[in-house]
Amino acid sequence: MSHYAIVVNADLCTGCMSCEVSCKQENGVALGQYWNKVLRYTQGTFPDTKQFWLPTMCQQCEDAPCVNVCPTGASYRNEDNIVLVNTEKCIGCRYCMMACPYGVRSWNEEIKAVQKCTLCNHLTSVGEDPACVKNCASKCRYYGDLDDPNSDASKALAAADPETIHHMKDVGNHPVSAYILTSRIGSWEWD
Amino acid sequence: MKEHTLTRRTFVKAAAAVGAAIAASGTSETLVKADKAFAEGDSGQEEIVSTVCRACIAQCSVLAHVRDGRVVKLEGDPRGPMSKGSMCAKGLAGIQALYNPMRNKYPMIRTGKRGTCEFRRASWDEATDYVADQLLDHINKYGPESIFASTGGGGNPHISGPIRFINTIGSPNNFEPGCAQCYLPRQTQARLVYGGGPDDNLSIADSNVLDFYDRESEVEAAVLWGAGPSWSAPSMTGRTVADLRNRKTNLQGLKTVVVDPRLTADASKADVWLPVRPGTDVALMMCWIKYIIDNNLYDEDFCKKWTNFPFLVDPDTKIDLDAGVIGGPANNFEYVVYDNNQKKAVVMPYPYPDDYDVALFGEYEVTFSDGTKKTCKTGFQVLKEACDEFSLEKAAEICWLDADKIEEAIKIYVNNVSTLIHGLATDQFPNSAQAALAALELECMMGHVEKPGAALQRFGVLSHSPGIIENDTFGMGCYQNLITRDMLNKRLVGGHNGFYNWQMAHIPTVQQAIRTGKPYKPRVWMERSGNKFAVIGNARSWYETLPELDLIVHAYMYPTSFTIEAADVVFPLREWLECPKPVKLMNWIFPRREVTHLFETADETLYWSRLIEKLAEKGYQRAIDSFKDEVANPGKSHTINGGNMQDGIAKGWRWAYDEDDLANLFCNDLVDPDTEQPMSWQQLLDKGPFEYAPYDEWHQYYVYLHDDGTGKPMGFGTPSKRVEPYSDITVKLGRTGYPFALCNEGLIELDPSLSVEYEPVPFYMEPHESPLYDTEYPLSLTSGRVPIYHHGTLRNSPWLREIMPTAEIWVNEQDADKYSIVNEGWVKVESRRGETYARAVVTENVSPGVVFLERFWNPELLDTDPYGSWNAENVNVLTKNDAPFNDVYGTYTLRGFQVKISPVDKCPYDVYVEPKQFSVWLPQYSDKTTEPTGEATWENWQEFPDDDLVCQIKAE
Repeated sequence: MSHYAIVVNADLCTGCMSCEVSCKQENGVALGQYWNKVLRYTQGTFPDTKQFWLPTMCQQCEDAPCVNVCPTGASYRNEDNIVLVNTEKCIGCRYCMMACPYGVRSWNEEIKAVQKCTLCNHLTSVGEDPACVKNCASKCRYYGDLDDPNSDASKALAAADPETIHHMKDVGNHPVSAYILTSRIGSWEWD
Repeated sequence: MKEHTLTRRTFVKAAAAVGAAIAASGTSETLVKADKAFAEGDSGQEEIVSTVCRACIAQCSVLAHVRDGRVVKLEGDPRGPMSKGSMCAKGLAGIQALYNPMRNKYPMIRTGKRGTCEFRRASWDEATDYVADQLLDHINKYGPESIFASTGGGGNPHISGPIRFINTIGSPNNFEPGCAQCYLPRQTQARLVYGGGPDDNLSIADSNVLDFYDRESEVEAAVLWGAGPSWSAPSMTGRTVADLRNRKTNLQGLKTVVVDPRLTADASKADVWLPVRPGTDVALMMCWIKYIIDNNLYDEDFCKKWTNFPFLVDPDTKIDLDAGVIGGPANNFEYVVYDNNQKKAVVMPYPYPDDYDVALFGEYEVTFSDGTKKTCKTGFQVLKEACDEFSLEKAAEICWLDADKIEEAIKIYVNNVSTLIHGLATDQFPNSAQAALAALELECMMGHVEKPGAALQRFGVLSHSPGIIENDTFGMGCYQNLITRDMLNKRLVGGHNGFYNWQMAHIPTVQQAIRTGKPYKPRVWMERSGNKFAVIGNARSWYETLPELDLIVHAYMYPTSFTIEAADVVFPLREWLECPKPVKLMNWIFPRREVTHLFETADETLYWSRLIEKLAEKGYQRAIDSFKDEVANPGKSHTINGGNMQDGIAKGWRWAYDEDDLANLFCNDLVDPDTEQPMSWQQLLDKGPFEYAPYDEWHQYYVYLHDDGTGKPMGFGTPSKRVEPYSDITVKLGRTGYPFALCNEGLIELDPSLSVEYEPVPFYMEPHESPLYDTEYPLSLTSGRVPIYHHGTLRNSPWLREIMPTAEIWVNEQDADKYSIVNEGWVKVESRRGETYARAVVTENVSPGVVFLERFWNPELLDTDPYGSWNAENVNVLTKNDAPFNDVYGTYTLRGFQVKISPVDKCPYDVYVEPKQFSVWLPQYSDKTTEPTGEATWENWQEFPDDDLVCQIKAE
């Protein structure tokens, strides 16, 4: 079984928003909607302030609540085990948006369907990286199959101190996407 | 050169030949290419073309996807040696900039009052004719100095364009709101102290510090002093610094110290963050100098052999003693030093003799040829005494820092292979020259010059030349042969002679001249940039000056507040996706392509060409001359040390006739390394990006040790061939304009009445408005980059405005409590110049007592409330443009002045905040529009014209 996902090295992320705009351009995401949203965090008190950014997108959960709650099979796993949305099957009930623990799904008013990060499936299926990974200004985003030790994503995790590898809060859904964050840069609050 | 038909081009040449009395018969053919516009049909074929971004001053390599003539996608080009496939939000927004429905599409002439949107459409021929007549009228009545130009660094600039224009007109005055407030101090001081080329200095954001783009660089630590590479050019400077930080995983690579009042992205990654009080950096730099001297941490060997620190200084003139004054050979790179071995003041030959042991500090008696004796200090001694009061504790007190943290930062600097990267911050308050000098002094003391890892490098000096004209470089490409002694003496620099380096004028002095008519009255303003009111200090003072001006011409890609409030004539310029130009990136040449071309827009340089061409048609001799190759390229250039100091006035070039001609002019001496034949623009396009020199040949350290051909080392491009951190050349700059007073006579001395005194070593200036004693305005303001906007650009990009829809003022939590400010709530911000509004970010990212506010303006108000468009959310109605100025560079105060804040329910102006509001600026493609009526009303501005007005898309 493969586990394709994006790994983000938050030690490097500078909050430049290139990934947000890349995603909008590549996927035609409407104003006000985000398949990929960069959140800024600050911790501590001046002058001992820490600041870091977390780009958030579909975490490619092992046990994805969105797939589980979808009444029509619009939210599904493809042959590569990637969580996707078939917008033609979407009836707009938005249960998946409520079920997603991370709020990374968005409602496309124009086509009346739920959408989310596809890992740029149309690019990755022809051997390219997702747009956000390609353009990332600080080269802090890595894409690949986490079960393949030779993927960029696996290599980034292998290079990092295991103590600094984190996941979004797991409420039984087992998010696959991973983040690297060193304690000097910020404290991970979501384990 | 034979011409067989009377084209406009031959007309100018013929006119030049016969003295140009026949001007009135000039042809009136449209200057616009009338090609059928849009590619027909929908083939679905997509081409990918390589080009180079110009959304900011970095130049990242880009792949543009083009379908049926339309640019549909941008992404980073992995071949780019500096951006390596990355592309930032500003660059990606290029597609929304290109197809923005608010593009200026054709020339327009005002029909209503300034401050209204009433214009009529005009042809290029009519509009240039209209402007040229008024220019000639003013030249005849009041002299060419009644005309001034201005430009700005935002929005695909060719900085040299307006300089060449005023050179041609015969006026001395062009200004730029950056300049004295951005890069002029650091760039000029580096030329004076180090003697590298125009781009060899400590500013990473200006495409320097090139060793950082080499992953094998030995650099271990960097001090980012007022520099924020992550947000200046995220995909170039930000990318490479991130890469170095993570050379060893989990940020165990490059160590960094960041000096910035604000917790920037770079500060948040730093090993030590020094949140210096805005405007006090020089006190901190002088503390570092003192600490390094007191603890003997400087590079003694380098200081003795390769700096002017040991030279003895004439106490009366402040100038280093040339060997000639004690009977040695004069002007032969030999100076008077005290030799510990000979126990007396002696001549130090070049290069440093091994049997010498010169004194770096102390004062010594020198007997001059005429028998007089003087007690003379070494340059290092003078610097040491200047810095003596700035102990760690004193600096901590002045700068609101912790003394231990300062010491920790210095230790990172001195205990690693390190360098100091000097950013914009200190160029924005009146202590600018001193900060620039002190930063260079630190690097010279530490021997961080042309060493592995050092910022100061002259890569490429020993390799093949790129051959192209890089006219974006400041000072380059001006018409030296058209500048007269009189023009130099008349330039409105206000005693700030550093402006001569960039051939620019001092903004407050120009404004004063307009208001008072003294020493003469500028009356016509030729402005090329975005929204001047958003970027110029104390913008309201300029608004009040507008009625004094007879004619204001604005050229840009979009209407801005300046267009509506000020412009009488508007010219449409091209976006970066429409402009052809070869671009040097390290040892590579990349073509920036004319990927597409919309409407009647012109490349900026060609816009200036067209105006000059029209003046030539009307018989203006200087304009006629300016099209002659022999005038443009005098074949001589001013140098110091036989060319070591690249003088900034390189090979000249005439005005261009069209975009292809311009691109070919830019290609200049470009040579194809495979065939060793000269390359045309078309050949460059066919070839695509290539290396003009092998990397190892280009990337060479220690250029100064290279043999100069006579068996001696080349040295540095300074008068002494050593680096000159004791900056007596700055003293000479004040007295005579040396070495920048360049005109058709070569290097001259300015009129003695213009002589002023500058200091050879730094001094600290407490901010004029200071939190130490200002009770009415208690908060010190700092500014700086956000990653998604460059200067005043892109506030009309939906993708970017939804990320940052309003100006943000960062307020510390303590101050938020004190002044009842809530996070995301609207805040009224007031200074002694005016008031504006921003939304609060309540944060621990700034100190109590400090607020951060970046530039902003509101294109959505242009038609309904033009005054509001630049007053609603604009830090530059707060900034200060009156004295004190920096002595050398005339810098006014954009940071480190005082404001007060109070909460308001909402912004009193009707600004856009919600993402959907920005949909009015989503791309509109030109095949969906109607014919404009010609009555250029605001509504018509937003219409896209019929196909036949849209120029041919060129997809290479």
